[in-house]
Amino acid sequence: MTLLRSRPHGERDTTVPAPPPAPPRTGPARWARDLAMGMRFAAGGGREGWIRTALTAAGVALGVAVLLFCASAPTLMNAWHGREKARENLGQAHPPPRSDRTVLYAHTDTVFRGTAIRGRLVRPDGAHPPAPPGMRHLPGPGEMVVSPALKDLLAAPDNALLRARLSSYRIVGVIGDEGLKGPRELTYLAHSDALSELTGYRIDRFGKSWDPRPLTTPGLVLVIMTCVALMTPVMVFIGTSVRFGNERRERRLAALRLVGADVRTTRRIASGEVLFGSLLGLLGGGALFLAGRLLAPSITLWDINVYPSDVTPGPLAALLITVLVPTAAVLVTLVAQRGVTVEPLGIVRNRPPVRRRLWWRVALPVAGTALLVPMAIRPGPIDDPLATGCLAGGSTLLLFGVTALLPWLVDRVVGRLRGGPVTWQLAVRRLQLSSGPATRAVSGITVALAGAVAIHMLMTGSQAGYAAAYAESGRVPQISLWGNGASWQQTERLLSALRATPGVTTARGLLDANAGRMPTPDHDTDRDLPGIIGVGTCAELRKVAHLPSCRDGDAFVTDGHRDSGTERGLTPGATINLNPPDASDEPVPAPRPWTVPPSARAAQLAPLQDGHRLYYDLLLTPSVLDTNRLTRPSVEALVRFDRDTPDAVEHIRNTAARIDPTMMEGSSIDNPHDRQYDGIRTTIFIGAVVTLLLIGAGLIISTVEQLYERRRLLSTLDAYGTRRATLGWSVLWQTALPVALGLALALSCGLALGSLLLTIIGSDVIVDWPVVAGMTAIGGGVILFVTALSLPPLWRMMRPEGLRTE
Amino acid sequence: MTPAGSLLEARALHKAYGPTPALDGADFAIHPGEVVAVMGPSGSGKSTLLHCLAGIIRPDSGSVRYGTHTLTGLSDARCSALRRTDFGFVFQFGQLVPELTCLENVALPLRLNGTKRKDAERQARDWLARLEVDGVAAKRPGEISGGQGQRVAVARALATRPRVIFADEPTGALDSLNGERVLTLLTDAARDTDAAVVLVTHESRVAAYADREIVVRDGIARETAGAA
Repeated sequence: MTLLRSRPHGERDTTVPAPPPAPPRTGPARWARDLAMGMRFAAGGGREGWIRTALTAAGVALGVAVLLFCASAPTLMNAWHGREKARENLGQAHPPPRSDRTVLYAHTDTVFRGTAIRGRLVRPDGAHPPAPPGMRHLPGPGEMVVSPALKDLLAAPDNALLRARLSSYRIVGVIGDEGLKGPRELTYLAHSDALSELTGYRIDRFGKSWDPRPLTTPGLVLVIMTCVALMTPVMVFIGTSVRFGNERRERRLAALRLVGADVRTTRRIASGEVLFGSLLGLLGGGALFLAGRLLAPSITLWDINVYPSDVTPGPLAALLITVLVPTAAVLVTLVAQRGVTVEPLGIVRNRPPVRRRLWWRVALPVAGTALLVPMAIRPGPIDDPLATGCLAGGSTLLLFGVTALLPWLVDRVVGRLRGGPVTWQLAVRRLQLSSGPATRAVSGITVALAGAVAIHMLMTGSQAGYAAAYAESGRVPQISLWGNGASWQQTERLLSALRATPGVTTARGLLDANAGRMPTPDHDTDRDLPGIIGVGTCAELRKVAHLPSCRDGDAFVTDGHRDSGTERGLTPGATINLNPPDASDEPVPAPRPWTVPPSARAAQLAPLQDGHRLYYDLLLTPSVLDTNRLTRPSVEALVRFDRDTPDAVEHIRNTAARIDPTMMEGSSIDNPHDRQYDGIRTTIFIGAVVTLLLIGAGLIISTVEQLYERRRLLSTLDAYGTRRATLGWSVLWQTALPVALGLALALSCGLALGSLLLTIIGSDVIVDWPVVAGMTAIGGGVILFVTALSLPPLWRMMRPEGLRTE
Repeated sequence: MTPAGSLLEARALHKAYGPTPALDGADFAIHPGEVVAVMGPSGSGKSTLLHCLAGIIRPDSGSVRYGTHTLTGLSDARCSALRRTDFGFVFQFGQLVPELTCLENVALPLRLNGTKRKDAERQARDWLARLEVDGVAAKRPGEISGGQGQRVAVARALATRPRVIFADEPTGALDSLNGERVLTLLTDAARDTDAAVVLVTHESRVAAYADREIVVRDGIARETAGAA
């Protein structure tokens, strides 16, 4: 018996043939298989593979984190506004009747050394008053609950003046997170038995029906430009990192072609390699975002300070970021492979030399300028959707236009360069041959810097506008105070107390109230503008008007109507209404007649130091009128102080708070915008520096990669005796040229865009030259940084090992 | 070998790459105007010998003397300076700087020596003409053929009028016709300038252009029988 049997001649082979190979999988299955293979290569691709994966992951992580933070902005603002809405009630249109569940409520906001402190007073009407979020019940009489930040501020040793201001209340608790806009908010809520219906208003709930204003146009432009300025360098970095180790990857793909993979398969495998890094980056970005948002409590931007939980992107935005960023990284890889055909024996670069055309590159900034210039020439409302679109579109086009212009500019400038020393020649010739990698990296600098310069100008211009206004208003060291006035006696007490306050040089004030014509059957007074009565001693009245003579019991009719152009009917002997309608929708109150003394004499309002005059129609000495008859009288005082007295303003505020904690203040002492804008400007500057460092990292990658690809040539040059310094300088010029051109372009574009935006919002065009110089210096620093870090690999590659062929 | 009157002389060179010995007591000498072919199979140590002779790498032991200089005792900077002024190199693939034109490539060693650009380019143009490639002066290496590129590389090696030219498989990437032309031009030019040529090759037809042949095998250099 044999196992092998010969087939007799003519006998047909009836054995079953071996099954044909399974048809190649198609569609998603093939994609999945190839992508998985690419991911395996990335994970097991040795040191270069891991470096590329790490760089891609870093770029994607940064991109994901930036986008997640940007996508969190709406949620963050909603949470911030939401807590404000839930805790506040600044009066109801129809005040509820007093009941067991109502409370008198007043705001007592104050400022301490330039820092605003939100204050609220309550006095429950009964046993079951509502409580705002963040506290289970209202504090008892003489007690207050404070935010943690205010508690710390009050505890600070050098804040005795603030402790004195709030000394009427004992701290009994801390407001919970849900009752605060942010962790660093300074706020308190105190129970004051002194609160009356005159100084507070009655409410039966906390929480208001109020919608926050949508983002203003400058704010929207700021957000868009920030996103563009931040994301472009990140995308550039991703583009650079996915190209790292291209030569080795191409060799590997060629080997795959040799064993039967087609071109599309190799592209899918290359995409898989990047996808691996992208997925790692996605995880890293998520971790970076989660770690970054823990810093939220320590950051205050534009007075906005939030809790980490507020920094949460919307689910749709998060999903889009999760899908789009890795996809973008894969697309960058595929774009990088344009014009490259991986053949079994190597790479065929069939991409013709790129001739950089100018027209479409110029078209972008021109279109951007065309959108912005008309708005600058004919300033108009900028808050409508069309104007917003033009502003955002114009700014973005201008910024992207710079990126598009840079390669053309580098080509043109470098193409014209001739001569120079060998180091210069080597760099120039290298850029003439291929400026793509360097320009690609530098374009990130250009957008980031142009955006940062423009935003900086916007901030500086706005800040300077506020500063000028505050400087003008604050030229005279004075502070005005106003509040509810009970009587002239109380006003006198206030003025006396103020005059006794350290640092106060003068103080004046009157008790004010409205008065109008008496209604008659043929004259409806509902829409009449009321006249103003001022009550004070002769000494006080003389501070606002030139009086012929004065003693208690005198009354004066002023020439104030000449300023307003409206005769209010407050004439000697006229019967006037001391309870005039206040032009609201409330029912017309019952008139309270009073006759102006027929002996009232004419007086001329005196101009103040700024040339304006305080407006009064009728000036009365205290005994002329029982001030209890006035409707909702108020007291207004103007206090001048000595700037050289330490904390004079704080002493004045303390005095006012002691007399009436609900008294409000108007002053130009503290410019809150400085703090807001300084924070933003510092953040932008830090952002620009970080961006430049990121671009520097990208430049290092591309420079080292280029050096690695030229290692044999470098070894040859070393064999010729080329000095290390020669090639070092060459690398410096090679980095410096595109960066310098990018900086010049970025500064020009940033200054132009900033000027346009400032003109559009009606601000003076102011350039913050130190910042421009600082950013230019940092750009220069990036050049040196990149060169310095490129030198060790350069010198390593200038070794004879590169000459060995066996 | 006759060391007397030699321009470049090596004694008892040892060099190992990790555990693998590349040179194991190699001796070598070359006289002015002499063309010496260094032959041997792949991995025998010929290129290592060339690199040691040129001061590109330092041997683990042994000495290399060039004129009055002992290369093995010179600093890296002095070695580099010597290579710039006295030595010329031709490699298998030319190794021209791709971003420079052929003229600039030939002028490069002169400029590295401090020659002014115009003067360097004038001399480079002469060398290109002598090597019959003056027509490619304005072209970049990527735009010319392999044979033309190798002639440009020879011109570059000769431009500084070196006293020793090191050629490592100079025709390895060329067809026989182009290879012969390049060798003829290289050796003729070297003899005209009284330069010595160390010609590393594994092709016997290339060695035919040499005055002497040295075979390197297992890291040991031996003169072939019947050599001059």
